[in-house]
Amino acid sequence: MAAKTTMRTSALGARAAGYLFIVPPVIYLGVFMFWPLARQMWMSLTNTTLARPNDGVFVGLANYARLLETPAFYASLRITVVYASLAVLLGVTLGVVSALAINRPFRGRAVVRGILLFGWAVPNVAAALIWLWMFNERSGVFNKMLLGMGFSRLRWLTSIDWSLPSILIVTVWQVAPFVMLVTLAALQSVPEEVREAARVDGADPLNVFRNVTWPHILPSVQLAALLVAVWSIRRFDIIYLLTGGGPLGSTSTLVVKIRQTAFEAHELGIASAYGAVGLLLALLVAGIHNLVDRRRMRWVAER
Amino acid sequence: MTTSRRRMLSLLLASALGVAGFVALPSRPAHAQAKPPVTLVVANSQWLDALRGKNLWAAVTKYQQVAPHVTLQQEAIPSADFNDKITTALGAGQGPDIVMMQEGLFYSLAEAGFLVDIGKAAEGAALNHTNEKGVVKGKRLGIAWQRAVYALIYNKKLLDAAGAAVPKDVDGLIASSKAIQDKTGAIGFSSRHQIADLSGWFMDFQSWAYGYGVNWVDGAGKLTLNTPEAVAATAAFKKTFDSGIIPVGDDMPTQRTRFKQKQIGFSIDNSGGTLNIASGGPLASTDLYSAPLPFKAPGAHQQIFLGVSKHSKNQAEAIAFLAWLVTADGQRALRDASGPDALATDVPVTEAFRATNPWADTFAALAVNSRSTLIPGYESKTTPIMRLVMEAVEKVIVAGADPKAALDEAQKQALARF
Repeated sequence: MAAKTTMRTSALGARAAGYLFIVPPVIYLGVFMFWPLARQMWMSLTNTTLARPNDGVFVGLANYARLLETPAFYASLRITVVYASLAVLLGVTLGVVSALAINRPFRGRAVVRGILLFGWAVPNVAAALIWLWMFNERSGVFNKMLLGMGFSRLRWLTSIDWSLPSILIVTVWQVAPFVMLVTLAALQSVPEEVREAARVDGADPLNVFRNVTWPHILPSVQLAALLVAVWSIRRFDIIYLLTGGGPLGSTSTLVVKIRQTAFEAHELGIASAYGAVGLLLALLVAGIHNLVDRRRMRWVAER
Repeated sequence: MTTSRRRMLSLLLASALGVAGFVALPSRPAHAQAKPPVTLVVANSQWLDALRGKNLWAAVTKYQQVAPHVTLQQEAIPSADFNDKITTALGAGQGPDIVMMQEGLFYSLAEAGFLVDIGKAAEGAALNHTNEKGVVKGKRLGIAWQRAVYALIYNKKLLDAAGAAVPKDVDGLIASSKAIQDKTGAIGFSSRHQIADLSGWFMDFQSWAYGYGVNWVDGAGKLTLNTPEAVAATAAFKKTFDSGIIPVGDDMPTQRTRFKQKQIGFSIDNSGGTLNIASGGPLASTDLYSAPLPFKAPGAHQQIFLGVSKHSKNQAEAIAFLAWLVTADGQRALRDASGPDALATDVPVTEAFRATNPWADTFAALAVNSRSTLIPGYESKTTPIMRLVMEAVEKVIVAGADPKAALDEAQKQALARF
């Protein structure tokens, strides 16, 4: 009887301990994430202004209807998708290639790794200011190089054709080291004996990579790609500091548009609607990642 | 006897010293002695200006000698973030006691009911015309801190070296700027030209617009963004931009720094910005000159108002501070730190300042006819309206759009939204 009571008490204790452990993160996420998110979603249904954040009146879906009628909304949505897709494609490719390159031991590897990580280590604002000077039309190092090679100056940040590519260059410089780190960690966990076995079976280096290394590092690369995609949808500081969304809205992503709508026009309701669309986009990316991951797991299981 | 005489003498001496000490003490207002200590937080983006910020702060903190129970505390916010931070803070029921803000923010805060009546501070003060717009719906909500007029400024040594003339119109500006570029290697002309710096750019552009006779509203108060005058101003700006005299891609702080370092010939800037250029840089303030804008009609001015927050727990003390600021003592303290900016009362620029800053007089003369950067009747909506205009200007200068077509589109959008 006593033993039964002790067992029941310890089971209860174990359950209570579980709840106890989960309470702090639930409170944290509730206060700092779900409550603001819920408030933003509510705000997107009101005509709240910046000067009177608590006096918004419910307007239903009017803010979303206004978004759908605005050509600038579609432009910013398109720019966000293009920017995020290219950031993922280029950042992940460069990160993986860099990881493969420095995975092999060579002299000065630690130094090279340190240099490659520089972009990830520099704070965004500092990075933007550094690049702002490098892109400067008159005094920037890029145009000096172009002039030295006999070409004419480029308007890196002030022409419609070059502003988005310029921002992508900075973004890739920042995210590729992160992807490299994640991939490098995954690469170093690939069992050497499996690679060795493949080589013994006559596989050439390309086949070893395709059939052993790549499937092993793929989950990590996928995760890094997901994070880069979500960060790119949310990225504000670099874009805002380099171009402010211009010229002619050519770098005006959804987040830049949120800032503009909230702080210039003081329309928090519309800005929240822009935010809700951004959230949907991020959820869509996460959903695609989940789908791809499940298919990969199924494929691995069937193999 | 000797002892009693000594005692008498000691007593007399002590009394004399006591009386002398009492007389020598600085006279303090009775209320200052009785009141508990108060801290007033004063928000201004100018506190961050290299030399001017320090001088302005030294001027306002003289109030602490008059009211020793008051401690003034700076809230220094970069100008690019000022409006956002103040609006957000006041919207959340917080923020500084006193705000020194651009006219546009003043109207937004007034409209939202965040500013209290400061009429008591103006009682008996000889306020000049720069304070007129501080009265909103019959209540004085703002007192002028500074009014900074726009003028054409130039580096006289570069101009002389290039043998260039002081321009009287846009073609002359382009010709003289090109001469400076060709003969000295310096940059011809500096101007904001990017939407990334919207709030600064639209205020600068108003001088071009007003110079061509633009009124952004008609007599009935209807927005008119696509008038022939607006088209002409846009075309003139495009011509200047295309002439290759502007350092494309440079933001305004960079351009001002270049000017300070003797790398730029001309600029259209306000008196506050000019004071910054003339202070603490390689360019001697005596080499900096100014001239009327190269347009037919008068240009614009930027106005900064002082207001007291309704969330301030020390409103009476804040108003007392403003009352001191508009006294002769307060205005004198502000004068030299403010350069040639017009102040709340008519305080002439000192002879010493004029002697070392030959550019100052033109600004004072232009202040007589300058116009506000805000659109009459749309004061709190000027920024989003001017975004439409500046996007049209950007379309013209970056994408080569037709000025009339671009402004027609801006007009269409403005009528749909405002």
